[in-house]
Amino acid sequence: MNSFSQHAKPPLLEVRNLSLNFHNQKQVAVDQVSFAIKAGRTLGLVGASGAGKSSLARSIMGLTEPGTGEILFKGKNISLMDSQQLKTTRQGLQFVFQEPSASLSPRRTVEQTLLEPLKHFAIGDKDYRQQKILKTLQTVGLNQNVLQRYPHQFSSGQQQRIAIARALITNPELVIADEAVSSLDTSIQAQILQLIQNLQKQHGITFLFISHDLAVIRQIADDVAVMYRGQLLEQSPVDTFFGNPAHPYSKILLSFANYEVPSHTVGNNWSLDRGRLSTDSAHTCVFAALCPEKMPVCERLEPASHTIQNKNHPPLQQHCVKCHLYDEAKSNET
Amino acid sequence: MSKVALRVENLSVWFGKGPQRKQVVDRISFSINAGEATGLVGESGCGKTMTGMAILGLLSTTGANVRSDGIELNGKDISGLNAAQRRAFLGRDIAMIFQQPGTAFDPVFTLGQQISAVYRRHFDGNKKQVRRTMLESLESVGFNQAESITAAYPHQLSGGMRQLAMIAMATVCKPAVIIADEPTTALDGSTRALILQQLERLRHQNKTAILIISHDLSVVKQSCSDVMVMYCGRLLEKTDCESLFSHARHPYSAGLLSCIPQISPIRPPAINSIPGQVPAADKLPPGCHFAPRCARTESQCRQSVPEFDSAHQAGVACFRPL
Repeated sequence: MNSFSQHAKPPLLEVRNLSLNFHNQKQVAVDQVSFAIKAGRTLGLVGASGAGKSSLARSIMGLTEPGTGEILFKGKNISLMDSQQLKTTRQGLQFVFQEPSASLSPRRTVEQTLLEPLKHFAIGDKDYRQQKILKTLQTVGLNQNVLQRYPHQFSSGQQQRIAIARALITNPELVIADEAVSSLDTSIQAQILQLIQNLQKQHGITFLFISHDLAVIRQIADDVAVMYRGQLLEQSPVDTFFGNPAHPYSKILLSFANYEVPSHTVGNNWSLDRGRLSTDSAHTCVFAALCPEKMPVCERLEPASHTIQNKNHPPLQQHCVKCHLYDEAKSNET
Repeated sequence: MSKVALRVENLSVWFGKGPQRKQVVDRISFSINAGEATGLVGESGCGKTMTGMAILGLLSTTGANVRSDGIELNGKDISGLNAAQRRAFLGRDIAMIFQQPGTAFDPVFTLGQQISAVYRRHFDGNKKQVRRTMLESLESVGFNQAESITAAYPHQLSGGMRQLAMIAMATVCKPAVIIADEPTTALDGSTRALILQQLERLRHQNKTAILIISHDLSVVKQSCSDVMVMYCGRLLEKTDCESLFSHARHPYSAGLLSCIPQISPIRPPAINSIPGQVPAADKLPPGCHFAPRCARTESQCRQSVPEFDSAHQAGVACFRPL
């Protein structure tokens, strides 16, 4: 999984200072987010509902109005591309949605659904397309006799397999999966997770995997990014996140996932946060209001992103945290 | 031994008749003591919610056929009552926390109106007293500003807040039994932990007996002392939580357990899954319903139905348990 040899290559996807505002610029959905995913690795994006995870994913896909900042796919800026270049790029960038029954057209058979991307990108001739569809169905564990059936004739697990097949059929390099297993039953969720792990290993597909379920992230991610009110508060390799999280919010997320309610969190409303308004003060940490380790500086100054050095880490796997606690000079000052 | 709060004897629910008959709940029996929580786990469509609705008698308008040898609430049989008789104790002695608080509340009344309506249905009291009880109930589930919640309409709250308000409504009369149907599904971690904490508090403070219906075994592990595993309308295993998680005896229970992703500082082993899928309710296989997906199946499993040794004791309905 490690990619030491690929040191010189640009990351497969890089996002620089991406911001996204809604409702006439009043609501900040995504705020100055930067991250990179190297080819072959899976980034797990976690956070409570309303943190901006889906908005971030949708803006990478170009499904929402463009924000400010840069999105680079294989080193090339997507927003500077002409329509032909964009079309080529989009072929390598596919999406799997949360609700399979809502993301498949009820009026199309499986064959029509899988043929559509091939036609759109003008991939192959008739024979190639037929072969590709059968091969992709096999990859996702479906029988070829499903071709003439409609989505409602499948269980939710099978529908999600069809949605994954639709994403895979253009041979994408990056698949963005937005809560792709959240609505599935335990045993079906396990089957789809196995399928995704298989795609990571056998086909080397890179994933941006969004989930609020930390156990799922633990299972399939190589790196973790924590989002809160539009900002990325911590980015680290998965073992570091689960073994030694740095940001106070990450620690709280983990204890919630283990069904612990830390005493200092009782009474605070964790689920009401729906992003920030642009009129809110910019000179504060977004987590300051609820942070158990708040210092005076947290309400005066927005923290910068600090890199945490750790001897045990390979140097390529960075651990970044956006918190004043890791800013030596300032925490001493208070 | 403490008092039995809810006792269900051979409860069955089915739709249709003849070859179209769909058996959604098949002769299940269990009991819950006051102050204890039991989990009912299984995958979607296995009959968990139907069981909960049937206990409360809420299926009478759905065309479902319900039969049982008795549903006892605090020793009183409630299975044969008509709608009017049932209304006298629904909400007061037994209450349900529904799966989707978004649709279970009435959108045109404020939460305060809806919660006090439940109380006024069963108890007398002047406006002030009713309001105080309603506020207490909201405060007890953790709302700091209960006053502002009473004036809010359901759509003004987030999913987690609505679920907490739902618990406040279910507990305003301090019922002896609460049936919580997927109380934490679709909520994120922070709210999930909070809601389970509230149910735990009810169990201790009010000695409420709680049936938690969930597809999530980790929720049950966290909040229940006993657990029942359901598959295609039948109970397959009944035991205490500790035994299930340390030594599941039914192959389906063991399979479900191996499907749960774990949170641990070191990378967990690759996840397992159960091959195949749940059969449709009108195409159930004869014998043990799990036999086609089970690695331990032998000819007996395909022919006859395994039963529990005793309906109200811990046990496993399997010919070849682990």
